[in-house]
Amino acid sequence: MSDNKQIVADIDRSLYDFKDVESEKDFYRMAEGLTRETVLKVSEEKNDPEWMRDFRLKCLELYEEIKMPNWGPSIEGLDMDRISSYVRHKSDMKGKWEDVPEDIKNTFEKLGIPQAERESLAGVGAQYDSELVYHNVKDEVAAQGVIYTDLESALHGEYADMIKEHFMKLVPPTDHKFAALHGAVWSGGSFVYVPKGVKVDIPLQSYFRLNAAGAGQFEHTLIIVDEGADLHFIEGCSAPKYNVANLHAGCVELFVGKGARLRYSTIENWSKNMYNLNTKRAVVEENGIMEWVSGSFGSHTSYLYPMTILKGDNSKMEFTGITFAGKGQNLDTGAKVVHIGERTSSVISTKSISKDGGIGTYRSSVTIQKTAKKAKASVSCDSLMLDSISRADTVPAMDIRTNDADVGHEAKIGRISDEAIFYLMSRGISEEDAKAMIVSGFANPVSKELPLEYAVEMNNLIKLEMSGH
Amino acid sequence: MNTDLNMKVNVLPVYTYNFLRVNDSTLDASDITIDSVESPVPAAVPQGVSLKSGVSFDEAGEVFRANKDKILVSTGVPGEPNGDTSARDNEQAVRTGMGVDVDKLFISTGAKCDVYTVEEGTVVKEPIVLRFDMKNGNGRLASQVIHAKKNSEITVIMDYTSEDDKEAAGFLGVSTRVLAEEGARVILVKTQMLGNGYLHFDDLGGACYEKGAIRLVTLELGAQKVWTGSYMNLTAKEADFTSDVAYLSREDHHMDINFVADHRGKKTNALMQFKGVLMDEAQKTLRFTIDFKNGSAGSVGDEQEDVLLLGDDVINRTMPIILCQEEDMDGRHGATIGQLGEDLLFYMQTRGIDEEEAKRIMVKARLDSVARLIPDEALAQRAQHYIQNII
Amino acid sequence: MSEQSLLQVKDLSVSIDNELPILHNINLDIKPGETHVLMGPNGAGKSTLGFTLMGNPHYNVTEGSITFDGQDITAASSDKRAKAGMFLSFQNPYEVPGISLSSFIRNAYHAQTGAPVKLLAFQKSLKAAMEILSMDESYADRDLNVGFSGGEKKKAEILQLLMLNPKFAILDETDSGLDVDAVRTVSKGIEEYQKKKDGALLIITHSTKILESLHVDYTHVLVKGNIVHTGDGSLVDEINANGFERFV
Repeated sequence: MSDNKQIVADIDRSLYDFKDVESEKDFYRMAEGLTRETVLKVSEEKNDPEWMRDFRLKCLELYEEIKMPNWGPSIEGLDMDRISSYVRHKSDMKGKWEDVPEDIKNTFEKLGIPQAERESLAGVGAQYDSELVYHNVKDEVAAQGVIYTDLESALHGEYADMIKEHFMKLVPPTDHKFAALHGAVWSGGSFVYVPKGVKVDIPLQSYFRLNAAGAGQFEHTLIIVDEGADLHFIEGCSAPKYNVANLHAGCVELFVGKGARLRYSTIENWSKNMYNLNTKRAVVEENGIMEWVSGSFGSHTSYLYPMTILKGDNSKMEFTGITFAGKGQNLDTGAKVVHIGERTSSVISTKSISKDGGIGTYRSSVTIQKTAKKAKASVSCDSLMLDSISRADTVPAMDIRTNDADVGHEAKIGRISDEAIFYLMSRGISEEDAKAMIVSGFANPVSKELPLEYAVEMNNLIKLEMSGH
Repeated sequence: MNTDLNMKVNVLPVYTYNFLRVNDSTLDASDITIDSVESPVPAAVPQGVSLKSGVSFDEAGEVFRANKDKILVSTGVPGEPNGDTSARDNEQAVRTGMGVDVDKLFISTGAKCDVYTVEEGTVVKEPIVLRFDMKNGNGRLASQVIHAKKNSEITVIMDYTSEDDKEAAGFLGVSTRVLAEEGARVILVKTQMLGNGYLHFDDLGGACYEKGAIRLVTLELGAQKVWTGSYMNLTAKEADFTSDVAYLSREDHHMDINFVADHRGKKTNALMQFKGVLMDEAQKTLRFTIDFKNGSAGSVGDEQEDVLLLGDDVINRTMPIILCQEEDMDGRHGATIGQLGEDLLFYMQTRGIDEEEAKRIMVKARLDSVARLIPDEALAQRAQHYIQNII
Repeated sequence: MSEQSLLQVKDLSVSIDNELPILHNINLDIKPGETHVLMGPNGAGKSTLGFTLMGNPHYNVTEGSITFDGQDITAASSDKRAKAGMFLSFQNPYEVPGISLSSFIRNAYHAQTGAPVKLLAFQKSLKAAMEILSMDESYADRDLNVGFSGGEKKKAEILQLLMLNPKFAILDETDSGLDVDAVRTVSKGIEEYQKKKDGALLIITHSTKILESLHVDYTHVLVKGNIVHTGDGSLVDEINANGFERFV
């Protein structure tokens, strides 16, 4: 199987970069800018319960108070007055692809989503701009009691209280400026509930497509995996490239119950005009396991540090990530973990590649609280520099507050040696392929964590970046 | 003279998450008594070395300011790291680990600087020893510039001690700036065995020209609150900075460290090793950064920390940073933080050594490995004795 | 004679990174099916010649030319040389994490032939070749050379030789650091290559262990960057008995 992943298919950039013109007739687009009126308008459009409307307004106030971060990439190019925070197609969400409007269906067909659903997924949610256009879960999975729906329906259905209890409790709007923004204008996203002891054998997937120029996407993903349950959730994202800035400020909140396991995989391939200011966080109860697999390839600017709170004793987390920063990209990515329970363990392992003037920053924090006796944490981050006009920076932090912990940290930064290239070339492989092969090998620990078709997609993306399109 | 201190020091070369509270450190204390603003002088100044005492802090920095172009060799490609803080210390004659607020303190208090110049080709084997005898109630600011001209070699030992008064309280602030010209070698040894009530800072900044080398050996054993920093500019081919720092922090002591190696020349080398022991409720923050600037092809940077946590209430923060804008380099860092390994403990127990004794042996081994590097036998023995007494 | 030459090296001088030349005025003429041995004391420049023939960019040809199979390849990149049918077995093969040995050979085979690789047939011939070399099958799925012992690395090189089946192979110190059994196994692999009609070899070595069971047509002695003597296969035995003294 690992062999198949290394045979890299020819790349067609148009796979992600095609644009579908959105006609005014079919689409509703909110005016640019962020004001009390626009927030109220979003709330009205979505038929929010009263508490949610009030929550949005509180978030807007927070957004205005909280300062921009002083440590990450510049977000000067992002002008909120030019971002429309809500764009939707005028039709409703469908449960069958046949019913999805033709133009949108074509988009997802080109991205291969319906095919993937037929072949290898337990359920799919597809968001186009601000709203979900399609949501379906296989009958046998639904029969197990698994809930997979859009968040808006859930807000009005029998899970309304569960949503209210969990929504933005893990990522409070006070967390940072863009969490507050998210709270004010969030729209779309998924709600997943896996009942006690239920193991979902095949993955669920949400695909986010931001097709409108100068728009923001603020989907909210809320997943609750109850005691002893097991789920693999896959998130995919892409957008066509425009000359104006787009903004993605999603929020993912994951609740992993006692003895439960959740794997959350992402291949992010936003277009290179995207400001990706995304917040992901998980809390893990006793004996629970949280696994992250994260590939960051797209975006103009990224702030992305999935965080795990190991609250229960013996809870575990593993983070496997790769970031490829190419021309014009400033990708600031990493992971955060907080150990609270006893004998908790975390493993962070990342790979970062910088090329053509791209800036790749690995940033992390490992916090071990006084209560986390016998905690174990290990971090290893490797960076690969492909030229001398790029940057590869490593900015980790460790804060250890118990003597009864075991913490190891390793980082290496290097380049592809001339000897390695010569060795491969002496076997008849061209210089470009030799480099791509070494980079794929460097990325292999990440791709082998992905389901086959995603591993193939990731290798395609690497090949695409290496060829400089 | 009495003064208030309110300084922002040890600023991280690139800011990170604010919630960690490691981006900088505040050095504040009110109504500090300062009874001396001069550096102690050695018993004798060796042949080939000149000592100019009582120079103003600002004027003493002239040798760096005059060579700014050589020290801050321009790097080919623009592009700062995210959260870059370098602009803050631009006005310093030479950047130091603790930063510009230390310079401002020396200038505002009129503290004096002693300038040691080692003539070209002079190799002085016998160390120059500066002994800081800090009694209970003393307050002192002292600063030195060590300028080693081409192919010279010098060893300077700074011995901060409160001798037998373990509980002595007071204040000692030191700034040392070092220039190692082409082929020159400066060995700087700092041992800190101040009383338990001392507030102490020790700031270092320097530059190495082609094949110039600065070797630092530091032993931090005493004082209540310690800030220390080092910023080394490796400006030209084969410049070298090697440092070995051992620290022991106990009771409610605080230690705050910021080390930076700035690689600009080709084939430059930096090795920064820290060995530490935290006991009781001690708190320590270590920031160390390897910065490969564009053009530093063939350079090697390595930063390592090994911390033994022995108290139930210790707080240990470590920030091992690598910044890189050069393809051809080799950078690595590693940190090992925790208790004595179970395997090692088991091994020792099979040899009849109990856990407490095993810990004592390992603490001593860590600190002694650096104490052994002190090129002054009496001082090395005194340090080893001091370590023995504590554990 | 030049009409049927496979490799022709003419008046070749070589320097590393533009410093003083290491090889002076080297001439070689290798025909299809011939086995040549290049011997010489340590530091004579033997590996430099191997790297230069294969086009390592660190080695600059300051004078002379290399012609392979009728084409001037003096300035060609290494992948072009490999595609033309040249092969170098490295003294210190490079470790490439993340790529398995078998998928690497498949990639290389594909790159050289341009033809699609038939998976089953490929696996079958890989298995057969690994058997000849007494290599455990599990090595096929291990990352290329990563964590291989010295002996396994050399076997992996000869495995590539057998799978890629070049017209001409340079074996650089393939026997160094191997125990007696491993040398025998590697020799077996080389014999297997020799059996192929017209396959030519240049064996670089400073010992003679590996040559005991191989047929040798010509022996060249390289000292301080010059070929000081060329003889037939019997020269190997003479050097074996008397060392290089008479050439130094």
